[in-house]
Formats: sequence, C-alpha cells, structure tokens
Amino acid sequence: MADSTHNEPSTNERPTPHTLHPLKKIEIIVKGEREPFVQDLLDRSGVSGYTIHRDIAGKGESGFHEGHLLFNDKASLVMFFAVSDESKIQKIIDGLTPLFEKSSGVMFVSDTKVVRLKKFLGDE
Amino acid sequence: MPIDSAALRARIENAADVIGRCWPLQTFIAANPLVGFEDQPFDQAVTQARRLFGGRGYPSAARFRQAWEQDAIDPDVLARQLEPHGIAASPNDLLAQMEAAEREREASEEASDDPLNRVMAKWLAAFLDQGQAAWPMPNRAQGFYAAWRALAPYDAQIPHRDALADRPERPTQALAQVLDGHPEAHWEAIFRHHLARLPGWAAFIKWRAQQPRHPWQAACPITLAGYLAARLCTAQAMGLPLAPDAPLSVNGTASGASANGTDRPPLPALWLSAWEATYRQRLLGDIARAQAEPEGASSAERPDAQLVFCIDVRSEIIRRHVEQAGAYETFGYAGFFGIPMQYQAHGSDVRIDACPPIVDPKHRVVDVPAADRQDATADRDRWAALWDAGRTLVKTLKDNIAAAFGFVEAAGGGFGAAMAARTLGPRRVRQWAARWADRVPRPEAFCELSVDRAPSEDEPGDLPVGLTLQEKAFYAEAAFNLLGWSDFAPVVVFTGHGSETVNNPYKSSLDCGACAGNPGGPNARALAAICNDPAVRDALRDRGIDIPADTVFVAGEHNTTTDAVRLIVEAPLSGAQEQVVDRLRRDLADAQAGATAERAETLQGARPARGRASVQRRAGDWAETRPEWGLAGNAAFIVGPRALTTDVNLEGRCFLHSYDWQTDPDGQALEVIMTAPLIVGEWINTQYYFSTVDNAVYGSGSKVTHNVVGKVGILQGNGGDLMTGLPLQSLQSDDTTAYHHPLRLLAVVQAPVDRVASIIRRNAELQQLFDHGWMALVVQDPEQDGAFLRYQPELTWTPIDPSAPQPVPPTPAGIAS
Repeated sequence: MADSTHNEPSTNERPTPHTLHPLKKIEIIVKGEREPFVQDLLDRSGVSGYTIHRDIAGKGESGFHEGHLLFNDKASLVMFFAVSDESKIQKIIDGLTPLFEKSSGVMFVSDTKVVRLKKFLGDE
Repeated sequence: MPIDSAALRARIENAADVIGRCWPLQTFIAANPLVGFEDQPFDQAVTQARRLFGGRGYPSAARFRQAWEQDAIDPDVLARQLEPHGIAASPNDLLAQMEAAEREREASEEASDDPLNRVMAKWLAAFLDQGQAAWPMPNRAQGFYAAWRALAPYDAQIPHRDALADRPERPTQALAQVLDGHPEAHWEAIFRHHLARLPGWAAFIKWRAQQPRHPWQAACPITLAGYLAARLCTAQAMGLPLAPDAPLSVNGTASGASANGTDRPPLPALWLSAWEATYRQRLLGDIARAQAEPEGASSAERPDAQLVFCIDVRSEIIRRHVEQAGAYETFGYAGFFGIPMQYQAHGSDVRIDACPPIVDPKHRVVDVPAADRQDATADRDRWAALWDAGRTLVKTLKDNIAAAFGFVEAAGGGFGAAMAARTLGPRRVRQWAARWADRVPRPEAFCELSVDRAPSEDEPGDLPVGLTLQEKAFYAEAAFNLLGWSDFAPVVVFTGHGSETVNNPYKSSLDCGACAGNPGGPNARALAAICNDPAVRDALRDRGIDIPADTVFVAGEHNTTTDAVRLIVEAPLSGAQEQVVDRLRRDLADAQAGATAERAETLQGARPARGRASVQRRAGDWAETRPEWGLAGNAAFIVGPRALTTDVNLEGRCFLHSYDWQTDPDGQALEVIMTAPLIVGEWINTQYYFSTVDNAVYGSGSKVTHNVVGKVGILQGNGGDLMTGLPLQSLQSDDTTAYHHPLRLLAVVQAPVDRVASIIRRNAELQQLFDHGWMALVVQDPEQDGAFLRYQPELTWTPIDPSAPQPVPPTPAGIAS
C-alpha cells in the first residue's frame, strides 16, 4: 500500500516527492456473473488500473453468498476497486447505476490520496 | 442530449438477463432456458417467459392425459392437490377443460413470420460461421456491426437499404441515433424485445462475447451491442417499429399466471404438482422400504474392485448390473472426477475444457507420447496423417467448382456402395470399422497424460501444464472425502462415460455433462494417474487417507450407447490385480448384457433377448435418430451412500452422488455437492423439462429437418433462430408419445437436517432454487431415526411419511408407453 494512505491530512506544507494528491476511490461488489461487464466498464472508463478480489463471501439483500466453493466458480461475489480522478469514476458510476436497478450489487465512492499521481491518471 | 454509452451497455446487460445460456454444438451443455427468470417463483417465471418467447410453461393436456392413463398420476394425490382450491370436477373433465383452453389459445395465436428475423438470422449465420462455409463473409475481422454495415446496403430484402451505409461507424453511436426520441426508461424493454425475437442467436452471441480469447471471437468479434445496433438499424430501414406493441415488464405482476381471475394456480400447475408428488412418493417409499430390509452379509467383506461412475442417471442401470455381476462396490461422483482441467489429445489442436461450465479450468493436461513407445506413436501418426490427407482431398474435390463434377463421376460408385452398406448393414459396418480402428494404436497405448507439473511446457498467459504434488493430493483427497470413502479394494476404477453415435450433431448432448459435453475418459485417466503416484499416497496418508500398497487405480470409459465399459490400464499390475482386472472385464461384459436387455424395453424395435446387438446397431446406424435416451427420464438427485438405494430399481431416472454424513461432520463435502453437482443436475433437469413441454420454442424440433449452421449450431430448415434445446427424438418415443416425463428435480439428501439447513442458509442462489420451486428437497435425517423431512420455503421443514400405501407400483419400463 505504498501509494494510498488513510485520509489523514498531510502535515507537510511544502511539495516534496511524497506529496499526497487527492483522488477518488470506487469499490464495487457484484455477483460473479457480472465480472466481465464490470471489467469491460472499467477498461472503457479510462482508469489506469484496478484490483479484483474473486471468490469473496458476504450478505446482502438477496441473502448470504458463500465464497471459495470447491467446484463452483460462478456463485460467489467479486469485488473491484479502482482509484482515479472524479471524471473517470463518474463514467463508472454512470454504467453501474442502471445495472443496479435490476441486478444486486453495491458501489462505494470515497476520497483517497496517492503519492504517484501520474500512475493513477493514466493516459489523458 | 447525447446518450451515454456506459448507460447503454448497462441497459443491454440488464436486457440480456432474460436470454438463456448457449454453447457451440461441439460442447452442448444442458442449461435452463429460463435461467434469467430463476429469481422469480416458477409459476410466475413461466408466465413471464411465455409472454416474451411464446413458449409453454407446463406440460400439455395431452401429456397429462398420457400420464394419467399410465397411472403416473395417482388419483388420491391429484385429489389432494385440487381439494384446497375447491376444484371438485372429475379428472377427465379437467383434462377436457385444459384441452379446450389450449385449443382456444392456439386458435388465437397467429403464426408469425417476422421478416426482420429472417434478415438478421441470415447475417448472423454468415458472420458466425466457424469454418463450414466455403466462401466466408468478408470484413469479419472488423466485428459484426462493421461487417454488416459494409454489406447490408446491398441486401435486397431490406427496402430502404441505401441509408444503411450512412449509419455511424460505432455500434453505440448507431444505437444512440436509432434510440433518439426514446427515453432511457424504455431502452431495456426495446432491447429485451429484440433479443427475445431470436433468443438462440442472442444467447450464442452472449456466450461468444464473453470468450475474448476464443479463436473465432478473436478473429471475428461480435457483441450484443453490435448485434442490436445492426438489428435496430435494419428495423428502421424496413419501416418496422422499434418498440414492442405492448410494454414488456419482466418484473410486472404475474396476472397471467391464472386465467381464472383468482389467486388459484393454473390447472396445469396443479396437475404437474400431482404428477411430481406421485413420482416422489413412490421413490421415497421404495427407498424407505429398501432401508427397512436387513442388509446382505457380504457388505463387510473387502470387495474385489470398486468402480466410480459419473452421477449421470445412465450410470444407475449399469451400476446395478455391475454390482450383481460380482463382489463389486460402486460409487457416484461428478464425471470430471473433480479435476478442473483443459485437455488436449495427442495430434489435436483443440483444447477441451473437461469440467462443468460452473468451474473454470485451472490446469492444462496434454497427452504426450511416451519415450519408450516411439513405434506405436509413429504408427498412429502415420494413420492420422493419411486420414487427414484423405479428408482434405475429398473436401477440396467436393467444394471446388471445376473438380466437383469429375469427382462425382469418378468416386460416385464407391460412395454409393458405402452408402448402401451403411444403410443396409450398419452393425456390420461398425464391426468392420472397429476392427480397422483396432489396428491403429489408441492414444492411451502410447501416450501419458502430463499430470506432473511441467513449467517448461507453459505458454505465456495460458493455464499451467500439469499439477503440483499439493494440487494432486488436494484433488485426490477431495474425491475420497466427498464420496465418504475409507476402505480400498485391490482395484479401483474411475469410469468416465461417452456416447457412440454417428451422423448426429447432438453427440455432445449425449456425452458427459460434467466434462462440458465431452467423453470423461481423460479425466478418469488423470485421477487414476494421480492416485497411483507414491508421493500423492504419502501426502494422503498424512491427511488420514491410507491407500493400501496392494491397491491400483485404473481408468475406464462407459459407452452409454452400448453399455460396454472399456478399461484403460496404464499402471503396472501385480499378479493378483491382473486376475481381478481379467475377471472384471468378463463381469463387465455380463453387466453389459444385463443393462442392454433392460434398456431394450425402452428402445423402440429392440428386443431384450438381443439387447446388445440392438444397441450396437444403434451406435453405428447413420439413420438412427434415437441412438440412446441420454438423460431422458431424469427426475431425482440422490445424495447418500449406495446402501440408501441398493436393491432399488431407479429406472435410470436418478442422479446418484455418493456421500457419507458420518465422515463429514462440518458439512464441507455436502456443501460442495449441493453447490456444484446438484446445481448442474438442476440445469440438466430444466433443459429436459422445457425442451419437452415446448419442443418448438425451448427444444430444437424434429431432427428430420435439422441443418447444421456454421459448425456452431442447428437450424430448423434453412434459416431462422439457432436451436438451443434438445431435439424431439431425444424426448419422445414418437411424434405424440413422450418418453421423458417433465418433472422438476427432487433432491434427496441423507444427512442431519441442521447441516443441510445451514448450507442452504449460506448459499442464497441454492435457497432461491428451492424457495422458488425450480427444484424440491427431501432430507432423510439419520439423527432423527431416519425421518424424512420436506423442505418448505424460508427454511422450514415438514415431516413426511414415505411408507404410506402405494396404490400403483411403477412398472420397470414405467416411463415408456
């Protein structure tokens, strides 16, 4: 976790190589069958990268979903997170909002900070 | 306002939920055509689906009448179903009522010939061709929408085709243009309507779009957005309305579920429940009675051999006959033997995902010629090269305009003679071909499976080749734990299965469903090789599984058409083991005779006395539309030790998964069984159910008018939708008599009820299938004196008494007419 920190204010007034830059973080939890859709959405949104946790367990409106089933890779939940500027995160929100009208899943958007800003803004 | 392409894609994703699953013909996998409706109660779902696809959701009155006349519906059980709803009319009057209602409905439903479907199906068939067309569609590398856009302006079937060339380059831009003026709230209904007009092609596109690394998808990409863009543009160019006449709300109320204007379930739903309840009562009664009988004295002795078969319903018959043939014990396990592998045969470029569709393959296993068997390898390769060259030559001569005439002149006589021989003496031709094939070494005679981890063979971005010691021990341990296995016989056989049929595009629907519609022999060989590995045995011993030194594991493949079981012995045998294997081979031949005689009762034109000859003829006959019954008849899924069903004739209608509740205190093994094999059982069962209740919509109609399209699927006649279900001949004995009884699956689990309840509680999708009536569950709780408890929605249980009087016992061939 070299690049993001907790939401603590930077104590350093003067810009240094370790200056923290504010960005947005999105966390998405969907059923495994939606993984290709969300991945495609993230790829098209222009974010420079993302992390996927597969096979996670949890409880939501539709009940409990067990993770790490031995011979079923499709039933459990999958979690994505990505960090980028607000405009790219907004593109992701625009794609997920209609999806969640019908399909179960959640997304959380929060403020975060990173040191290597360029790494997270990708190709402008 | 510009349309947001991310929102557009999300609306397409939502709309495509109603589309079923579809795979290419080579890997026909049974799946519920209404999978997108499983979040709704069954009765509501079939009503919604009828509005969208036009397919029937319950068996027809004629089907109920046949069941009623065959005593498959118990009058008392039916009365108990009808009574709470105040229905007092006689069963015959009710059948007449249902028949009249169907006639009325059929008269009001006009057969529609959709010109838009005809145009789109033509373009899809051309674009999605996977090597069948001699002259493929141009520009396919640019994707479906671009390829269509380049050619559609020349399509004379589209009246205002000239304007199509001016459509935007990108599909989402084209959709935005077409949808201009339609609010976003309507998009999903429009997309759903258009996807549901050709649900087979839409399902295939949905599958293809999710396989970016599939060679054909990489070469000729297609997406649902591209298809919808082309379709909606074409609709406009043909002057057709974009939106459906009536708004389609998939989440709307199911007012159509009851034509009687009340909350009462429709009559067919009540009759279906009565039919199911009758079958289930008889089955549970048989199980309860069998358990009440004292066990045989031989059960404590070490058997000569143990044979593990697939859970497939067809295994039940051969297992019974194997058990009767000698001191053999049998088990049921998913036919991919728990190894999620991709398999590549020697000399083949094709990699097969040899595992169920809910599991992703994790290892690549390749047949590699053994260093000490160079002669056999060279022999095989020479024959294979000769065969390939011959096929290529014939295809070239047939496809070449100039050569075709001369070829027919020169070779017509030979082909005619071969045709006559195959038609008049299929069994003899099969024997001759088998003798010829025996001269060519089989891969297992000179190849070894690369089960050992081989990093040097890995290809970038691909699955790892082979398995590490830890992985091997893990899969072996999982197998023995799931099966509740503790004592080992001198010979253990992992028996995969495959069918033998010629001129049958649906062959893979008869192969092993747990191996994604492929024969299960390679997986059986892999697990046998793993279990023979001394390092694996040491690792297993540390985990409490002690395989005796005198036990050897061999593979086998059960030919489900002929019931022959071929043993594949790749490990060295001791003298004693060799004796057992020799005896087993003889006993398997006896078991084959018994099983084929039993099955002959259900196969038209077959005589039990000549059962084996009859099935051998079927396996080689290119005119045979019913080589075997596949999984037709399936109605229950039994999880428990074989002792639960020993001596019960289950008529090849039950999936059997071995399980011992005493060796699985924390329920881990049972959770695996209930979240994987049972789910696949539900897919198969619903595929057979819907293909039977509406063969034209959810099945694929008669084989007589089938045509293979693009090597990917089947069309009826020369166009229209891709057929995704089972053909009529896989389900019916003749045009009017059903062989398959369309009953929803009953799961029977022998385990403490609390254990089962906690598994259901942890797995929302499993609970949904039970709560919504897509399958039923009965638990036999050994901690409650073997009491039977029926699952009710929301995790409640009702005790039932299966030993109630059985008015009409099922006949041995009860499901045939």
